Amino acid sequence: MFIGKDLDRVDALAKVLGTAGFAHDLRMEGMLFAAVVRSTKPHALLAGIDVSGAYAVPGVLRVVSYRDIPGENTYGAMRKDQPFLASKRVRHVGEPILIVIGENEAAARKGAARVRIDYGEIDAVLDPAAPGKGQTLIGNILACKKLRKGDVEKGFAESDVVVAHTYRTTWIDHAFLETEAGIGYADEDGRIVIRSSTQNIHYKRAEISRLLAMPEERIRVIQATTGGGFGGKLDVTVEGFLALAVYLLKRPVFMRYTREESFLSNTKRHPLSIEYKTGARADGVLTAVKVNITGDTGPYASYGDAVCLRAAVHATGPYDVANVWADSTLFTTNGPVSGAMRGFGVPQLAFAHESQLDEVAALLGIDPLDIRIKNGLRRGSITATGQVLSASAGFVETLKRVEPYWRARKKQKKGSGFGLGCMYYGIGNTGMANPAHALVELGEGGRVILHTGACEIGQGSDTVLLQILLETLGMARSDVLLDRGDTDTSKDAGSSSASRQTYVSGKAVQEAALGLRALLDKAGYYKGRTLGDIYCAMKDGGRLLFDGFFDPPAPGLDEATGQGVPYATYAFATHMTEVEVEESTGACRVKHVYAAHDVGKGINPKGIKGQICGGVAMGIGLALMEEFIPGKTASFDTYYIPTSMDMPRVDVFLVEDEEPTGPFGAKGVGEPALIPQAASVVNAIRDATGVAVYELPCHVERLKGLMEKKRMAR
Amino acid sequence: MLPQFSYLAARSTQEALSSLASLTGAALLAGGTDLLMRMRKGETHRYVIDLGGVAELAGVTEEGGTLRLGGGTTHGRIASDPIVRRTCGSLASACSLVGSPQIRNMGTLGGNLVNASPAADSIAPLLVHNAVVTLESMDGERVEQLERFIAGPYRTTIGSREILTSVKVEALGGYHEGYRRIARRAGWAISRLSVAWALAAGEGIFTDVRIAVGSCTPVPFRPRSAEAFLEGKGRERPVVEEAVRMVLDEIRRISGMRPSFAYKLPVVRDLLLSVLGGDACS
Repeated sequence: MFIGKDLDRVDALAKVLGTAGFAHDLRMEGMLFAAVVRSTKPHALLAGIDVSGAYAVPGVLRVVSYRDIPGENTYGAMRKDQPFLASKRVRHVGEPILIVIGENEAAARKGAARVRIDYGEIDAVLDPAAPGKGQTLIGNILACKKLRKGDVEKGFAESDVVVAHTYRTTWIDHAFLETEAGIGYADEDGRIVIRSSTQNIHYKRAEISRLLAMPEERIRVIQATTGGGFGGKLDVTVEGFLALAVYLLKRPVFMRYTREESFLSNTKRHPLSIEYKTGARADGVLTAVKVNITGDTGPYASYGDAVCLRAAVHATGPYDVANVWADSTLFTTNGPVSGAMRGFGVPQLAFAHESQLDEVAALLGIDPLDIRIKNGLRRGSITATGQVLSASAGFVETLKRVEPYWRARKKQKKGSGFGLGCMYYGIGNTGMANPAHALVELGEGGRVILHTGACEIGQGSDTVLLQILLETLGMARSDVLLDRGDTDTSKDAGSSSASRQTYVSGKAVQEAALGLRALLDKAGYYKGRTLGDIYCAMKDGGRLLFDGFFDPPAPGLDEATGQGVPYATYAFATHMTEVEVEESTGACRVKHVYAAHDVGKGINPKGIKGQICGGVAMGIGLALMEEFIPGKTASFDTYYIPTSMDMPRVDVFLVEDEEPTGPFGAKGVGEPALIPQAASVVNAIRDATGVAVYELPCHVERLKGLMEKKRMAR
Repeated sequence: MLPQFSYLAARSTQEALSSLASLTGAALLAGGTDLLMRMRKGETHRYVIDLGGVAELAGVTEEGGTLRLGGGTTHGRIASDPIVRRTCGSLASACSLVGSPQIRNMGTLGGNLVNASPAADSIAPLLVHNAVVTLESMDGERVEQLERFIAGPYRTTIGSREILTSVKVEALGGYHEGYRRIARRAGWAISRLSVAWALAAGEGIFTDVRIAVGSCTPVPFRPRSAEAFLEGKGRERPVVEEAVRMVLDEIRRISGMRPSFAYKLPVVRDLLLSVLGGDACS
């Protein structure tokens, strides 16, 4: 009834009409404004701070420092190592030092600009390839993950061709439409309420609780309508500052970052250097993969550990390789804090493993599609971590869906080229608990209410969760109400990250709905009794609330070998991309993308297509233009993301190899939509020009340079 | 956030000129697509005089082989103007590529020239059309060759009391002309490099060759020695190659060797080879 249907997004109307309350739109009577004073140095001791200039600005009420923090001055999703406000030392440009609170935005910002800080500069560690010298921060190496399967040297010995290259990527900004923003206030009971642009609420509540040394019951976090996240709103942004300001001043406080501030302060996609060696037999069978990944993670952990591990786990791509050796190491530096961004390091790895595979295919005279079908993971295959894929492994089917277009491809003109990019991606957190709750209630007047903590960040989770609810209960849209993103009314659903909400929260919603369904069935709903009637008859027994819970079965990995089961299920995808490269200028335009995804079950195919088109756009940015240069990139003036003019035609094909543990067989698609795209662009460029790209972004200058080098070599 | 300023909406050129003469610390808003960006970065002005409502500054007229383009004419208007498209095609093309539709509907020709970015799209085609700018102040009017008016990157000879009221260009009928720019994305981008050209030829022999290169040297320029070299010659490959070599030498002479030239010079070479060789782009 509802599954597999293109239900309109439940938030569409409010967003189109402009009535949706984004965090930037929030206002309250008597609210103050807070601005952040940030470090201008990559590494320095705070020798002296003079705030008299700020207090001299009319309207400035309070300058807040780390000394004003009643609880713990550190936060972090994986390690509590990042200060809310620097105390003695700053470790990256943009690190928060003070908050200036004023009667209005102009006063607060002017006050922040008038603070004088004396820095005692320390040598900054900016090169992850040269660790050991300079100052240690949290130990030079943040994390090192290892993956060992089979005997990689034996695998190379058995191979007929070996291809080895080093691939490099750079810092990427999330470039969400809405910068970090939110409002904080005390409610009538004196509890602190934060309403912000965020990808998670229960995590933020826990961090505020530590910051203010206040029990979680005294804090409420509500998700405002959020203008995009992509991983950049997983870490604490404005929430801690707002909570602290409300705690100290007992008045509503509003914050919003300027775009420049967002670029300066938010986490970035990790720049990785990937040394990749592939061995294959003459018949195209891959015999060995050896990968050494090193990256710059900045001074604080953020999601570095997750990126580090995911990169290693996904190093081979969606292929059955008997012998695998991967090391993944992230170094701490005084560069930007790198953290979570759509794909957690896997898009970078896809660039490497897909480029490698095309080169192997070319050396062996095998068609790129054929070599992928030959080596592709399928049901019964064993992954690089030794996990047997027992169900929902539709990778080869995604290849088959683009196969007709691949076989029929024809270069329309000089400079045309076609490329394939493939990926697999573990849904949810890597080798660790990954639970979600969902509450379904039969409430007032017989209205069914879904209370979920799963944050809608534009990806469409509200709509998908409602579809799962309606299908399970066999009800009409008008019978149910969605109550989303409020720690007071929902239980922890985990973050909207790792492509996990459809799969994990979706299953939790289904479980809760099954509970209610059983009750309704007994009460005669499915024999015609109305919800209002049932509610009236049962309401005196207390709230009719059903708690659905799901934690995907993923026991984890062995520390030394990386062997084990890191995820309960995987998504698979193939993108085929057509480009046109202009030889005279190096300009590359993406003309057409064929994207086939194994999503388990498409709950809302239209929503999935939207996700994939967004992923294609972001992948084109990663491949061709996006590049954050610390100290230089300040805004969209210099940071280019694709516009509608860069968008190709996108044809989407859904493969539905149902996942037995997922809701109605569904998995996830948020990150898979992006992951193979840059790889397919790069392979198409090779097809068009004959040049191999080892560094991203492959912008006009870089591509022309590569073509020029090839011309000179002729 | 923008710094504070007082805003004046001028209704006529005369009113704008008199405000400009009497106020200190006044900036002209001629679309604002550069001014507002600079002010957002902290540039302050006590007064901002908006020329957007001055009707007499906008528009295109033609008289006796000369086009007069009002300084307040937007890029969008120039790009779609039938006279400009017919007789000054490279300029119409360049203006159609400036920024985004929103920027083209706000940004003006006068503003673009006074800002004098080395990457300004309008400059190269205007050089090809031997543009002359008219500058007015309370003291009167003066005209100057565009080539002299642009004194350096982001520098012109405009006085603090002057307004660029119009640009006069030669209408070129029967020329083969065009404009190409290279940017990192398909639209809403700053040119990394641009080339404008207008070529006249009879029976395979160049009778007039005009080329301008933008975003390469501190100021967009005309490689006059190469232009002169080509006049009276045919489109044979060795001739064209020699001319292109002269252009590249001229760029190196003006700018020295820059890191970006590893990219830019091969692109200028390939674009000009195809333009002058007659096999593309126009």
